[in-house]
Amino acid sequence: MASLRQPTIRLLASSTIRRASPTVINSTRCLATLAEGEIKKKEPLIKKFSIYRWSPDEPTKKPQMQEYTLDLNETGPMVLDALIKIKNEMDPTLTFRRSCREGICGSCAMNIEGTNTLACLSRINRDASSTTRIYPLPHMYVVKDLVPDLTNFYKQYKSIKPYLQSKEPAPNGKEFLQSKEDRKKLDGLYECILCACCSTSCPSYWWNQEEYLGPAVLMQAYRWLADSRDQMSGQRRDMLDNSMSLYRCHTIMNCARTCPKGLNPGLAIAKIKMLMVKGA
Amino acid sequence: MASTLRSSAARRILAAKPTSAIRLLPQTRIAAFHASQRHQILPPGPQVVHGTVNDPVPVPTPNAAHGSYHWAFERIIALGMIPLTVAPFAAGTANPALDAALGTALVLHSHIGFDACVTDYFPKRQYAKTRTFMIWLLRASTITAAVGLFSIQTNDVGLTEAIKKFWKA
Repeated sequence: MASLRQPTIRLLASSTIRRASPTVINSTRCLATLAEGEIKKKEPLIKKFSIYRWSPDEPTKKPQMQEYTLDLNETGPMVLDALIKIKNEMDPTLTFRRSCREGICGSCAMNIEGTNTLACLSRINRDASSTTRIYPLPHMYVVKDLVPDLTNFYKQYKSIKPYLQSKEPAPNGKEFLQSKEDRKKLDGLYECILCACCSTSCPSYWWNQEEYLGPAVLMQAYRWLADSRDQMSGQRRDMLDNSMSLYRCHTIMNCARTCPKGLNPGLAIAKIKMLMVKGA
Repeated sequence: MASTLRSSAARRILAAKPTSAIRLLPQTRIAAFHASQRHQILPPGPQVVHGTVNDPVPVPTPNAAHGSYHWAFERIIALGMIPLTVAPFAAGTANPALDAALGTALVLHSHIGFDACVTDYFPKRQYAKTRTFMIWLLRASTITAAVGLFSIQTNDVGLTEAIKKFWKA
């Protein structure tokens, strides 16, 4: 009964509120809280955000940095919260990707204060004297504002065949089993969310992204090379055996430094290079 | 609903503190993104998507000579140069055979290193002609260096002694 009643009340309440003018609700709310004691209003903490803007509607117009001012006491703690607040309340034309807001989807990858990272995992610097600068991922074609074009990145990911390949059916007729030790080899590889932060921080990828696969895709290539259940490691190694796909990695290690998930693509690439020589 | 509440909250602050409230209003200041670069060094070419967006990128033909063998060779030379560099110091005198080995390794190591630079900095798609020129320039330089080292080795005092002299001069 109660469960039935509640939604009705909520409906009624919302309809009355909608009819009433905002000032009326406001005063009633204030009265209710004032009865309990004085409200201590926090001093507004004004922070500037400088955000890269470019619109395909005006393709000849140069990209610009647009400045927004927010009160951090009325904003969530993360940069993504600030972006959402700006989009909701100030400028609905600001464009960015976001989805899970907890660092598991990799949509909100962008360059924040000079570091490629996920907006949902990076805290706003509460030092109000400095401006937080936000750019799209570097050296990518920009679709709009903070949205980079990841077509090539995904096409490269597809080229390494990121799935289990086997020549024969599973020995027990049901599934491929794996020992605990073999499973452990995949730790630190399978957690990658393909946000492209590492690839777009790699100078080698900036120079040769048409041919060099980049750290994110190479780490996934190693993830399938290291999998004990995969039977096509020979073909997988052959696919990388040329001057461009793998060997443009010069162990600059920007990938490991920037990874918002704390993974180490540089190490995975080094392991591929050893595999390629040993052939195991 | 939420936005009306929030905007009314903003209005309340507006009423209480007019000076700070003005700063709270959405400020929109636009600055030119390119401040200094009139002539861009590297104008990005148009985006090229081979096939449809759902096709994987083409996989190059396997060639171990440019891939894994090349890498292994490069590492062996780099590692081999360490003892070859230390040997004359350890022995106190220069050995012509070791000198020749060091000279060869040095030339090969430099060639591979500069070749990687050319591959990195002159992508085929953007600078096809410059790339070809740089590759031939590098080959010419490598041959010149090799011939020079050979002449030092055969007609002169040898590589290590030459460096020693150069050091003391």
